This record gives sequence, structure tokens and C-alpha cells, in this order.
Amino acid sequence: MSDTPTPFAAKHAPAPAGAPWLPDFCSLPVLLSAMLVVELLVVAVLLAPSDETRPLLPRLGTATVFAQWLTLLCIVCLCMLRATFSRLPSWASVAAAHAILVAAVAAGSAVVFSIDQQLGLGLTLPAALGARFVLRNALLAALVGAALLRYFYVIEQWRARVRAETQARLDGLQARIRPHFLFNSMNTIASLIRAQPLAAEHAVMDLSDLFRAALGANNKPSTLAAELELAQRYLAIERLRLGERLQVDFDLAADLPRDLPVPALLLQPLVENAIHHGIQPLAEGGTVRVHAQREESGGALIRIANPRPVDSARVPSRNGVALANTRMRIEYHFGRRGALDVREGEHDFEVILRLPTP
Amino acid sequence: MKVLIADDEPPARTRMASLLAELGDIEIVGEAGDGRAAVEMAARVAPDLVLLDINMPSMDGFEAARHLAALAPAPAVIFCTAYDEHALAAFEANAIDYLVKPIRIERLQAALTRARRYGNALPAVLPPAAHARTHLCARVRGNLVMVPIADIVYLIAEDKYVRVHHARGEVLVEESLKALETEFEERFVRIHRNCLVAKQRLVGLVRTADERVFAHLADCAEQLEVSRRCLPALRKFVKGG
Repeated sequence: MSDTPTPFAAKHAPAPAGAPWLPDFCSLPVLLSAMLVVELLVVAVLLAPSDETRPLLPRLGTATVFAQWLTLLCIVCLCMLRATFSRLPSWASVAAAHAILVAAVAAGSAVVFSIDQQLGLGLTLPAALGARFVLRNALLAALVGAALLRYFYVIEQWRARVRAETQARLDGLQARIRPHFLFNSMNTIASLIRAQPLAAEHAVMDLSDLFRAALGANNKPSTLAAELELAQRYLAIERLRLGERLQVDFDLAADLPRDLPVPALLLQPLVENAIHHGIQPLAEGGTVRVHAQREESGGALIRIANPRPVDSARVPSRNGVALANTRMRIEYHFGRRGALDVREGEHDFEVILRLPTP
Repeated sequence: MKVLIADDEPPARTRMASLLAELGDIEIVGEAGDGRAAVEMAARVAPDLVLLDINMPSMDGFEAARHLAALAPAPAVIFCTAYDEHALAAFEANAIDYLVKPIRIERLQAALTRARRYGNALPAVLPPAAHARTHLCARVRGNLVMVPIADIVYLIAEDKYVRVHHARGEVLVEESLKALETEFEERFVRIHRNCLVAKQRLVGLVRTADERVFAHLADCAEQLEVSRRCLPALRKFVKGG
């Protein structure tokens, strides 16, 4: 497990210039928070001491309809233009979003003002002050818009950081093959080279595949078939090392969803646990069972079972940590539909994985 | 030099044997697949040197080294392991040397030279182990008998010995009851000045008509008296369990 400081630190740094950070204006949460902020502003403005000749509630109603209509107009404009803006450098996309916001409010205000004049409702300002009405609203929009964009920026930064941290932690967890395993395997290979060169050659290839997966699989999700294959390669090496003490029962259903996307290196640590905690402490050894079948929903159900020594011979456990890590990765990848269950018997131990279709 | 190889991995034993064969003047007197077998075999074949893997089932290399040090004559010990997180512990266990796998033949040769020079002359005073042992070691008519701690039902102090009653019989060990109580605190509870019983087997307490109290143990016909002094603590333990 090695988190080299460099990539880790890089992930904490702010998003590089040019990366799109503009919030998704087309999403409901963004729209709702914009409307809420605008409404608070309307209330604040009306509560401030001013012209008290007209009753408060009708004025609130008019102002709300007007302000929310402008807000919707802005958000719709920004939603449509977001893809275009995201191609600009970071500062330019912010400036452009801000400019669009102000322009939309100014145009909207002008339209409302002219309609008000035509109908003679007197809801805005007297005819002579049209320019002032538009200008005043544009200025307000500029101030509120700047505050809102800043707010969205901070929220987005925070989310990006949480995502980066989770990813970094997952990366750290992934390169998690026990060093013992590497050196024991090397020793096995050294002993095979003269007597059984072919077996040694296979062991070198299996070991390479395992370490390639452990070292390089950072972001690419893997498939169920690839993960099962990797677990088999791991078991092949351990079988050379432990000899008759390790029996393997690998049973894959014919209709297994082989292309199901799963996190890389998901199964190997569990199989490694089965050997480390189950077979290794038993002088007589035992059988590791890996059974995979298709669920009705199209996902996969995988069971990994191993015998378990009595209390006194149990390896001081990191098992709980490894299981918690795997559980977290499944949650991260599959959401709530994925699950990792543990069945602990007196003499056996079983991990049951539910991997749903995306 | 007579050498015993102890490793739970067959290829590792094979490789060690072939390296030793290249060095010459070595007689491999046995191969063992776990720590317990290694100690039993060493008691039979009296090797000069034991090459001991650390991670082994049944009994790990460190515990095996402790039992080996109690043999007469005690063999020299060289630890072998795949990953050197144990180096310090190995030195504390008075090993002649410490080799990492895959072992280089030059390193092995140097270690054997050290073993020839010092033999078992290094003090066999072992520091108190970090972990409790998994087995007790006893001599029965000259043969070594290993009793798994998990099999022990109760222990009775007799003069300077302790009589160990276990699932398949009883043996005498040359240790003090107090030391055993401290080492296996988790496993045994004192019921009398001269008696410890396995917590797991303690089913209950029985009071007789003459106000004496006896411990009732699972799979054990023997009646073991509980002393007045131990009774309150024992009551609490039985209730809590």
C-alpha cells in the first residue's frame, strides 16, 4: 500500500485552469437555490424602509413574480450556453456567464417595462424613468449574480475535493497485494526454475498479470470476467506455493454476465484473505470455493468461502479492514444496490457479493 | 552438520535442500511443514541447526524457537522469511542469523559459517514472548509431547511441576502456575491456590451439603474444589459469562 505523495497532493490542488467548473445550470438543485436566493433578496429589499404608501403583500407578490421570472430566464439562458462556456478558459467562462446573466436581466426588464407602459398598470416606474429601471435591475443582477456564481464555485470545489479524496483513498487501497506474497512467490519461482521450468514460466506470467492489475488499474473499471480470471491466476500461484494444502473449487455459471463492469482488483484481495486467514493457518489446509452465478436482475452473485481455524490459531486480523475497504468500493461503484455480506460459521467463513447491473 | 528444514511451503523446502546440497558437508536430517512438527522432529533427531520459517501454521517460527531452546542439546536456529518485518524480533530471539527469501547461496553460506562457529553457544535465554504460546512442551519417558493450549482442561500445581490435564490425558511440565496464569490470562481462571481451569470449559459452580464449592467443567468428571478466596471473583466470572 503506497500512496506516493505526488499524485496524492496533486489531487488536493484546485482544479487546473480551464477545467469546467460551472455548475450544471440545467439541474433542479441549482435552479432551486438560485430561486431561493432571489426570493430572499426580494423580501429583504421590500422590508427595507421605503415608500410605505402601498400595502406590503401585493408589492411582494408583484416583485416575486417579476424577480423569479427573470431568474428562470437567466437559468434557461445559462443552461443552454453552458456547453459553449465550458470550452473557454476558467476565468472567461465565469465572465461570460456573468455577462449573459446581466444581459438577460436587462433585456427582461426592458420588455416588462414596455409591457407595463402599454397596459398602463403602473407596476414599474413612470415612463420617463425607463432607462433607470433597466439599469437598476441590471446592476442588482450583476451583484446577486456575482455572489451566486461565487457560491456555486465554492460548492463545486468542495465536491471536487471530496471526489478526489475518495478516489485517492481507493487508489491506495487498490495497490494492496501483501509484500509477503510477492517474495514468497519469487522464492517459489526460484525453486521451480531448475526442476520445472514450464511451471516457473507460467508462475512468472501469472505474477506479472497480478502486479499489472495492482499497479496500473487506477481508473479503468474492469469486467467481472477479467476479475475472476485474475483471482484464478492468483490461486494458481498460491497452489504452487502451498501444494496439496490448497484445494480450489472454482465454479462459474455458464450464463454469468461476463462483461459486467466492476471495480478493478475487487475479487483478488478477498481470495487472498481466504488464503491468508483460512488456509495458511491450517496445517492440513483446506478448500477455497469461488462460486459465481447470475442473478435474475442480470447482475452477479459471487460467494467466496474458506475454512476457518479455531480461535487460538487465528491470524491477528486485518480482515475486518480489508472487508470494510471492499464494502466501500462496492458502495462507491454500485450505490446502494450492491452489497457485501459476511457469513461467519464456527469452522468456515464466507463473503457474499451482490454486483448489480449499472 | 545435521540440519533440519522447517517451512510450510514445499517449493521453499525443495529450494533450501538444493542450496544446502550445493554447499556440501551438510546432512539434512529432516523436513517439517509446521512449527510443532519441527520441534517434535528436532527432539527426535537432535539436529545441530534448524532453518526455521517464521510464518507457519500450528505454531509459528518464534514459538518453535522458544521450544527448541528448551531442548537438550538445543540446536542453533536460523530464521528464514519472505519479508523482513520480523528482523528485530529474530535478533531478540537470539537467532544465529536471519535470511530473507529468495535466499542467496552466499548469504546462506555465511549463516552456516556463523552457526558452525557459535553453534548453540549463544545464550538460550529467551526474552518473554510478545504473544502467549500456542502449545506447552513436556517430556514423557524421554519423548517430547506438545499439548495445544486449546486442549487444556485444567492445570494443577504439584511441587515444582504443573500437572496439565488435557483432552487426551495428562503431562507434567516444569513451569510455575503463576507464570502460566500470567501468560495465558485470557484463557484460564484461578479457582484455587494450586489450580487454574480453562474459562471456556467452566460450566458452573456446585455447592455441596457441607458448604464446599466445586467447579463443574464440561467434558470432565473430576471435581475441583474452589477456594473461599477465589470464590467471589469466580462467581462474578460465571455470571458474566
